[in-house]
Amino acid sequence: MKTMKTIFQPFGQLSRQVFFTMLVAQVVIALVLWQVGSNGLIPSPLQVKKAFLQLLSTRVLWENILVSLGLTLQAMLYSIAITLFFAYLSVLPFFRGLANFLVKCRYLTLTGLIFIFTLLTKDGSQLKLSLLVFGIVPFFVTSFLSVIMAIDKQEYELCKTLGYNNWQTLYEVIIVGKADQVLEILRQNFAIAWLMITLVEGLSMSEGGIGTLLIKYNKYNDIANVMALQGIIFIIGIGFDYGLGSLRKWLFPYAGLKA
Amino acid sequence: MNKRTGKQVNNSITSKTKTMTTHTKAEVILSVQNVNLSYAGKQVLHNVSFEIKNIVRPGVNQGQVVSLIGRSGIGKTQLFKLLSGLQKPTSGRIMIHETKEVQPGDMGVIFQNYYLFEWRTIHQSLWLAAKQNKALRGGEKEAIAHYTNHFELAEHLQKYPQQLSGGQRQRASIIQQLLKGSDFLLLDEPFSGLDVCVLDRVVNLLLDVSLSDELKTLVIVSHDIATSIAISDTVFILGKTEGEEGATIKKEIDLIERGLAWDKDSRQQQAFADTVAEIKSCL
Repeated sequence: MKTMKTIFQPFGQLSRQVFFTMLVAQVVIALVLWQVGSNGLIPSPLQVKKAFLQLLSTRVLWENILVSLGLTLQAMLYSIAITLFFAYLSVLPFFRGLANFLVKCRYLTLTGLIFIFTLLTKDGSQLKLSLLVFGIVPFFVTSFLSVIMAIDKQEYELCKTLGYNNWQTLYEVIIVGKADQVLEILRQNFAIAWLMITLVEGLSMSEGGIGTLLIKYNKYNDIANVMALQGIIFIIGIGFDYGLGSLRKWLFPYAGLKA
Repeated sequence: MNKRTGKQVNNSITSKTKTMTTHTKAEVILSVQNVNLSYAGKQVLHNVSFEIKNIVRPGVNQGQVVSLIGRSGIGKTQLFKLLSGLQKPTSGRIMIHETKEVQPGDMGVIFQNYYLFEWRTIHQSLWLAAKQNKALRGGEKEAIAHYTNHFELAEHLQKYPQQLSGGQRQRASIIQQLLKGSDFLLLDEPFSGLDVCVLDRVVNLLLDVSLSDELKTLVIVSHDIATSIAISDTVFILGKTEGEEGATIKKEIDLIERGLAWDKDSRQQQAFADTVAEIKSCL
């Protein structure tokens, strides 16, 4: 009874075991409701499970996943390089305006830029990559600039008391001091890149990718496979989230420490 | 008895000379000249002027401790920032050895919360500080070993600041600034929020630091009157005068002349209680 009360109490603290049991129960209830509510158009959980297992056993899926992952990682690398370049330079007044403009570019839609990017790039592969990078960079820059803005004044003051010049301070406080935050931003924004991949892959389908596969299944109203593929996309996303989080803790052991 | 070393330093000191220990005040090592500070149109500091002179005691190699005492919110932290060079005064100047205007990096600065780079291990932080000190070139490793052994921090060198206790952070912070090599060490409220046992340790630690070099000068900004008197050679009182906006130095008290400096048991003296009362009346 006490546990039940805690479950619905603001800031209630549950034991790990109770929380896990509650989570399992919620998933079971959701699946039962889905099973009961599914009709001819919406596949049942069992149908999705069957499609999921079938998909996993096909070579097509793995090849398409590899294509999408390759493109996403490539886009992430370019994006982080561009982000760091502009974010680090944003402390120089000359580049501050440009960095702030990049932040505002979040409000531009990719769909409206497809034609321009088609003219600027030479093939479908470049088009997808440049659209992805253009889509990701504003979010990366926004996150990293907010990290820079939130830097404790004492970090700069400590550098000054140690006799550092402004360049040394930039290196120590922003480049070295916030290196762990770069990975955190990557982790947080991987979801955006993963979300966009299905969109841009639809623009040039010759190279494949999970976005292409998704469009294909949608086209033939193969909803069971669409949902199974969504599940796979979801699992890969969660996997990356966990992997990047673990990498951050390994590379920057202080990141998990609290004073 | 010398309260800093706990050793007999001058057998000729009699009960009479205890109130006026042999010493001379030599050259001015730090001078604050007509410093004013306004912030958002409000005068925070008004015509602050004082000098710190090198105190020389025959046969004793030690620095000195100076305290700036004032009530909370009077402008102590602003004065601290001006002294450290982190902030520029609206007018006036702060000179080191009468030749150089203070710049960021000239003073060793210990912030109230003992701030350290959270992404560096203690060893890395100390190494970076030592690398800034040209006098240590080539001897950084030995200097770090010397200080960390002396201040009982050697076994924590591979830890991050978040893994240290408050006292350990304070010591790491002090060592960092000592390695940087400035003659002056500014401390912002070093006694704030400490319990009695820890307070004694901090007092001994600071006295220990002041002993490390003849020119080592500790400038403590504090509102803790008793502890400041117990540790200092000179006290400056920061307060407001009637009809004036902003705080200024209201009084300078030479604790050596009163026999309160260099005496481990100074708290037992009537002069100590009198001085506490005198300072309280000025605030």
